[in-house]
Amino acid sequence: MGRDLALLIPEIAVLLAAVSALIAEILRRPRASLALAMLGLFVATGLTIRLVGTDTTVFGGSFRIDALSIWAKLILLPATMLSLLLASAEVRGTVREGTVYSLLCLATVGALILAGAGDMMFLVLGLLLTSLATFALVAYPDDDPATEAAMKYFVFGSVAGAVMIFGLTYWFGAAGSTMIADLEGTEAIPLAVIFGLVAVIVGLGYKASLVPFHFWVPDAYEGGPLSVAAFLSVVPKVGALFALTQVFRDLPSESGGPAVIAGLAVLSMTYGYLAALVQDNVVRLLAYSSIAQSGYFLLGIVALGESSFALPSIIFFAAAYAAMNLGAFAVIAAVGRTLNDFNGLGRAQPLVGVAMVLFLLSLVGIPPLAGFVGKFLLFAAAIHAQFTWLAVVAILNSVLALAVYMRIIVPMYRQEEVPHDAASIWIDIVTLTALLATVTIGLAAQFFFVKSMA
Amino acid sequence: MSDLVLPIVFPLLAAAAILLLRRGMVIWALVGVALSLAASLKLLGAVASGDSATLLLPGLPDLPLRLTAEPLTALLSVVVAAVATCVLIYSVGYMKRESGLPRFFAVMSLFVAAMQALVLAGDWVLVLAAWELIGLCSYLLIGFWFQRPEAANAASRAFLYTRSADLGLYIAIFTLMGAAGTSEIAATLNVDGDTAVAAGLLLLLAIMGKSAQIPLQDWLMRAMAGPTPVSALLHSATLVAAGAILLIRVAPLLTPEVLLAIGLVGGITTVAAGLIALAERDLKRLLAASTASQYGLMLIAVGAGVPLAALLHLLAHAAIKSGLFLAAGEFQHARGGTALERLRGVGRVRPWTFFGFALAALALVGAPPLSGFFSKDAVIAAALSAPSVAWLAPLALAGTLLTGAYLARALRLLWHEREEGENENRSVAGARWMGLGVWALVIPAVFLGLTFGPIEALLGLPGPGDHGTTAMLFGLLAAAAGLALGWLVPASRLLGPFHPWAQSGLVIAGGLSFWIGRPAMAIAYGCQRLERGLYATVLSVGRGGFFIARGCGRVERGLYAVVLGTGRASLAVAHLVRVGDERRIDGLIFALVASVRGWGDRARVLQSGWIHHSLAISAVVTAVTLIILLSASLSF
Repeated sequence: MGRDLALLIPEIAVLLAAVSALIAEILRRPRASLALAMLGLFVATGLTIRLVGTDTTVFGGSFRIDALSIWAKLILLPATMLSLLLASAEVRGTVREGTVYSLLCLATVGALILAGAGDMMFLVLGLLLTSLATFALVAYPDDDPATEAAMKYFVFGSVAGAVMIFGLTYWFGAAGSTMIADLEGTEAIPLAVIFGLVAVIVGLGYKASLVPFHFWVPDAYEGGPLSVAAFLSVVPKVGALFALTQVFRDLPSESGGPAVIAGLAVLSMTYGYLAALVQDNVVRLLAYSSIAQSGYFLLGIVALGESSFALPSIIFFAAAYAAMNLGAFAVIAAVGRTLNDFNGLGRAQPLVGVAMVLFLLSLVGIPPLAGFVGKFLLFAAAIHAQFTWLAVVAILNSVLALAVYMRIIVPMYRQEEVPHDAASIWIDIVTLTALLATVTIGLAAQFFFVKSMA
Repeated sequence: MSDLVLPIVFPLLAAAAILLLRRGMVIWALVGVALSLAASLKLLGAVASGDSATLLLPGLPDLPLRLTAEPLTALLSVVVAAVATCVLIYSVGYMKRESGLPRFFAVMSLFVAAMQALVLAGDWVLVLAAWELIGLCSYLLIGFWFQRPEAANAASRAFLYTRSADLGLYIAIFTLMGAAGTSEIAATLNVDGDTAVAAGLLLLLAIMGKSAQIPLQDWLMRAMAGPTPVSALLHSATLVAAGAILLIRVAPLLTPEVLLAIGLVGGITTVAAGLIALAERDLKRLLAASTASQYGLMLIAVGAGVPLAALLHLLAHAAIKSGLFLAAGEFQHARGGTALERLRGVGRVRPWTFFGFALAALALVGAPPLSGFFSKDAVIAAALSAPSVAWLAPLALAGTLLTGAYLARALRLLWHEREEGENENRSVAGARWMGLGVWALVIPAVFLGLTFGPIEALLGLPGPGDHGTTAMLFGLLAAAAGLALGWLVPASRLLGPFHPWAQSGLVIAGGLSFWIGRPAMAIAYGCQRLERGLYATVLSVGRGGFFIARGCGRVERGLYAVVLGTGRASLAVAHLVRVGDERRIDGLIFALVASVRGWGDRARVLQSGWIHHSLAISAVVTAVTLIILLSASLSF
């Protein structure tokens, strides 16, 4: 018990951060609330580093402390810190400011639980925790678009969550236990396993914003605060994708799961980029692009168990994606939400312009930026696992991606300029951090991955 | 042999220094590229004395990056560095009056570094990374004058075209890695069977994109919107050359089927691009079309199974074409544009540059004893010795003839007697730097033929066979005929009805953007509509839910009314019972009237709309009913 709790200290630290941020808000000390949340996340990150290389489980195998869950912490905790900074620039001075910080931390706890889930109940718990916290976050601005977006998000979320719980009962029936690992040994009635699998894909697919469970995404991103959109596009999504990975590692291979996932990958990538091609609102454009990027993760999930690249590629792409996507959202926070706001940005603010170009090129997958390495590994994994056709579709989609992101880059270097107010220093810090990560992660791939992942 | 990284590292450091310091960029860039040249030469020396080496660098997990020094890679590295040095020297003059110089020199240096990485790569992952970086750098450089819409569009177009074709490279690389189990280029070249055919065709796609082969030629002409030194570098030693270089390096992999495809693509391109060049109205675009045509000749040589001939022509072309471009850039400065009409007679104003231009042009046509004479002979001899000679030889000769025709046309226009009052001449700032750059390239363009012997010996590749004399004869005839035709007959008459089509770049029905771009946008809008439709469906399902909920509400209200009615009735009964006991019958009637009115008022109060209110009422009524029923049962 003591050992189990010791291994869970990072999660507990985040939880404490959430609670103390809330208490500070109750005492009407929003600054203290932010500081406590940041401190908690920072400590949690620090405490995780000593765990790198561990591969064990706690609470009788129901929660996993393995490469996935440890890297989830190392990726998502800093990502949450950056989201907090973005949020502080956006909601400063509003009523109930501290609740935002507290809810962001709580949603992160949910994402971390998802990433380490070894038990069906943890899947449910993680999904609900992230969902409930983010419903409230999307509704935070308290105006009509936000309320409508939150309502839609809520309806989708409740239905998807209910379907997942319903399907999990079949797994429980088939395996006789709630442990995901027990599924492998079942001489199961395959029908029950398939039924449960479909339901889990619905539940996690909604959170990971895969087509066709993505309908809430553009509205929620556009209606809610921008910082929440940035957070939603990274933390819960990566949590859900890692949970999907945990599930697929233990799935009996004859379940037909990889084929379904491959189909979803094609749908998500193609649909996401095509829909992004006709958006005029940059937030919606990035929302669709984030749907497409989720599809790329699935290339790694498809290859699980078939290719040694599968797990590293998923983790690496998650790190790259977190950096470049948060960076792009930070620039939007500084510049504006429509394509017209980007007119002449590259000339008026050359550094912000260069940063945005680098983020977008990394999203396309241009070397030596982080996105290239991530996508390269994902392609390699899929091809190793005999899913060459899927890799071809993914590469074709990268061309489409270039067209999508060029729609932002091209106006940035046009003649006319739109005047911009100076952005908050915190946003600049987020941009800079994300930029640093986007550039260095790609170059340093070998150094920090080989030892720790295996 | 850690010297291997030096040709890459020096320009890279120069780029970093320029970006960080933002001053002294000319010196940094020149020093960087000169050191790169020195390192390449040292490498070539080491390789020539028999060393060859591979250097492993840390890269992706399980996929180390490899650099290889062997005769071919070292030689190409020298070519890249040498051309880049000349072009950068020239740029100092050409870009004198421009702003944004740090960006220009930094990206040029990065470009050189990426190209060095590509030629020295011994590993597919590095090839891929360098390949993409080259695409990115050319995007940045073609779009250097991004304020001009045509430059920005040209840059985007070049990037999209070449990147679409990169698809082939990605899949080819993964296929080869899957078949060979390693990412080392040398090891993957032993693959055979269907895998080799598939990989070869996919590589061909990527090469067609980069080397602007038909039908992917359109972007190259538009890319002329960029600065002239960029065009020179792009066409001779970097972007466009990357395609041919890759093809030469993977030559051992190519199977007969793939060779035939390569030869045909090259042959068609050399003729079609030659026709386009003949019809062009702009000097730089003419040179661009000529580049596509010359790379077509190289593809013919590879397709004929003699990569050595392609390499020799690549070397000669690198010096010649960059020299031509640099001279064109000086003419551009002298007349403020590159339209041939505007340049009419400029040769008499700047005779030295024109002399250099003419020498380079003659070399490209294949006049003896200039370098192009030897390389073109090799190509034609290769075509004559190929199994598919019936296809390749006529196409190669037609390409040669067209080369003579369009260059003669250009020379004639440039040397034309100037008419009074037209086309002001301007003084050219930085002409000395430019002249230095031009002649530094024209001299090798003339004498490079002398080095071909040693190069053949160094590489140890098979030569083009024993058709040397025939090839020379045919080649000279074609070149002379071309020169005569181009000088004497106007292009519009030569091309006849094809002239307008060739002038528009032989674009088939609106080009690639029509065949790919429009459908993609149509699908995208379709998706948008689909999404709206789905959304409406979801919404209507939701409405259905609401409808059911409303129905439920109605049922509930009905039940509520029933409960209320029951309560009311029982109260009334109780009342009646009590009144009947205590009062007379007329009092009973009054009481009944009063109580009905009172309940009416109270019923209005009941519909206040507050949920807690109504819940409380329900609870109270239920309780009251219970009590009454209980008391009634007790009293009987």
